[in-house]
Amino acid sequence: MVRRLPEFLVIWVPLLLSAAHLISFSIWTIWISFTPSTLVPVTGWVGLRNYNSVLASRNWQIAFDNLLLFGIAFVLLSLATGLLLAILLDQRIRGENVLRTIFLYPLAVSFVVTGTVWSWLLNPGIGIEKLVHDLGWMTFKFDWLVNRDMAIWTIVIAAIWQSSGFAMALFLAGLRSVDADIIRAAQIDGAGPFRTYWRVILPTLWPITVTVIVVQLQFAISAFDLVRALTNGGPGIATQLPALVVYDLMFQRSQLGRGAAAAVLMLLILLAVLLPYGAWRYVRQRRAAHA
Amino acid sequence: MPITTTRRRLLAGSAAALALPAFARAQGAVKPRLTAISQWSAGSDGAAITALGKKFEEKGGVWQHSPVPGFTTDMMNKLRAQIIAGDPPACSQLKGPEIAAWSKIAPTVDLDAVVAAAGYEKVVAPDLAKLHKPAGKWIALPLQIYSTNMLFLSKRGMDRAKADKVPVTWADFNDLAEKMKSSGMAYPIANGGTRADDGQKFEASLAGISPTAYRAACMNLDKKALEGPEMKAAFAQTRKISDWCDPNVGVQPYANNLKRFVEGDMGMLIMGGWAQGVLKNAGFKFDDYVITPGPSDNGKPVFLLNADAFIFWQRKEADLQAGQMLMAQLVMDPAIQTMYSQITGSIPVRTDVDLSGEGWSDGQRTTAAALKNAMGNNQAVLSLAHNMAQENGLTAAIIDVITEYVKNKTIKPEEAVSRLAEAVEGAR
Repeated sequence: MVRRLPEFLVIWVPLLLSAAHLISFSIWTIWISFTPSTLVPVTGWVGLRNYNSVLASRNWQIAFDNLLLFGIAFVLLSLATGLLLAILLDQRIRGENVLRTIFLYPLAVSFVVTGTVWSWLLNPGIGIEKLVHDLGWMTFKFDWLVNRDMAIWTIVIAAIWQSSGFAMALFLAGLRSVDADIIRAAQIDGAGPFRTYWRVILPTLWPITVTVIVVQLQFAISAFDLVRALTNGGPGIATQLPALVVYDLMFQRSQLGRGAAAAVLMLLILLAVLLPYGAWRYVRQRRAAHA
Repeated sequence: MPITTTRRRLLAGSAAALALPAFARAQGAVKPRLTAISQWSAGSDGAAITALGKKFEEKGGVWQHSPVPGFTTDMMNKLRAQIIAGDPPACSQLKGPEIAAWSKIAPTVDLDAVVAAAGYEKVVAPDLAKLHKPAGKWIALPLQIYSTNMLFLSKRGMDRAKADKVPVTWADFNDLAEKMKSSGMAYPIANGGTRADDGQKFEASLAGISPTAYRAACMNLDKKALEGPEMKAAFAQTRKISDWCDPNVGVQPYANNLKRFVEGDMGMLIMGGWAQGVLKNAGFKFDDYVITPGPSDNGKPVFLLNADAFIFWQRKEADLQAGQMLMAQLVMDPAIQTMYSQITGSIPVRTDVDLSGEGWSDGQRTTAAALKNAMGNNQAVLSLAHNMAQENGLTAAIIDVITEYVKNKTIKPEEAVSRLAEAVEGAR
């Protein structure tokens, strides 16, 4: 018999290590954000100066507006797309495995690759617009990538392509776990397929929906590689996002203090999403325990 | 058995290295060694620094160059890590005002004696020299020069527009662009849409309109000059240039347009001399295009200086110190500068190098003549877009405004002027 490792060693040691790692670097970043550090970290205290200058900069303001737009649009649309795909796949169709793999496949592609490929597809000079022109529809216009008002939507498109398969997989698992007896009961009561989904099946999916929303939101808030490959914050600074601003301040502009301040602001945004989620789960678990 | 050999060699090598300082003290001479980092890893840049390393070895030195591919800022991240670890390279690439900024975080080598011995100061543009002796002492040495505002004219593009006059002023330039446009060229200007490219459009405009205003606004950040009439005129000219560029370029680099430029589908390009190297690498010939100084309203060439340099970091090891002195001598050597520039397409820092011989292109000769002329008229200024005029943080804040203006055509020139002044204030 092989002796098994005690459970606490397997779980607690790695957990403590990563927690210590995460927390110590977070504290270090918070500390740097209050120092006058530029090229290298230095000691000293400048109070909220770094925060004020980040919050006052156009880059951050644009990045924050974009984050709101991108976060909401991306989460809702990828949720809708994922759910639709899951429902369609749920119809016991032929070739379900192949289709499921295809829809899930983009998730296996790195964001840099996704961004680069979409930057070619969406480039009006070489991509979709040119293709349609070549087919003969000369007035067709699809120049979102180089249009500053629409460029943020190209990121939404690419992000949805990448991650709606993930939402689909979770939803599909949820759909499959609905008790067949309930569905049959609904059918006996005379509910059509649409009504069955809307009134019986979908309401059971909402814990999964919340999970998908939280996972997608934290991706949206920390989005970096996709944007960097697709638009690099451009045209101009029209598609800046917080993570790009942090990178830019720290590694392009050598302003460590301000970059750290922007990073802490990002952490606060993330907490604004995660804390309510944690509270919600806590309440739910307590209710379940009482029931 | 390759592994054993390597290990044995390594052992022998480290034994020799360990013995070297002692040997040095005994003999008064050591085998010079240089640890260097730069971003130059591939293409003509990589070839040039490899050639420099060969020369270093020919002089009996040990050349240990570790390239960090990518942008200059990626190289800086490695340099930062090494400095924090207390182990800086003996020599690293660094340029412009960053030399002054970085010299404050780690001790540098005083090069005054070796510079004086080479008589280098007399043959370097004064503004450029100042950047390399931030506290009055030489601590870094410029290696090669580019002008960021050379005007490239496509031969086929000129033929197509039936134009034969090379533009001198911005008015000439604008006329020629219109002429090209009316000859059926949809986008007469082949510039790209990167941040640096947008910065170049603006700096070429301002310096061409008034080098004095450029010096006051972009180099000295004079508040009055930043809000002056030349700034507004420069933004207006920048808008004209960007209107003549292909809007589908987005944030792509100019290099994507070079084929269309050579074929006459686009007529002009405002770019640094490095574009010549890129054109050459892409298989185009020198007589596909003409290089001339960028438009200047007073008729005399304006030279927007961009210079690569090496900074020398203090080390205790005798062999590294000897290597630093050897490297400094090589970098200042006219023969080495000639070799280097002929590979990269730049021009030598030394203004006394003769470019009439073989191995130089007409474009390089024009550039060198423009530099001499511009220095004589006090019209050689430092490039903002390529981090020569200000430190990275300030440059980035200014370029933010410029690139947004170029991409957003609803921003009026006067609005851009006040935004730029605000950005400078905010970043200071």
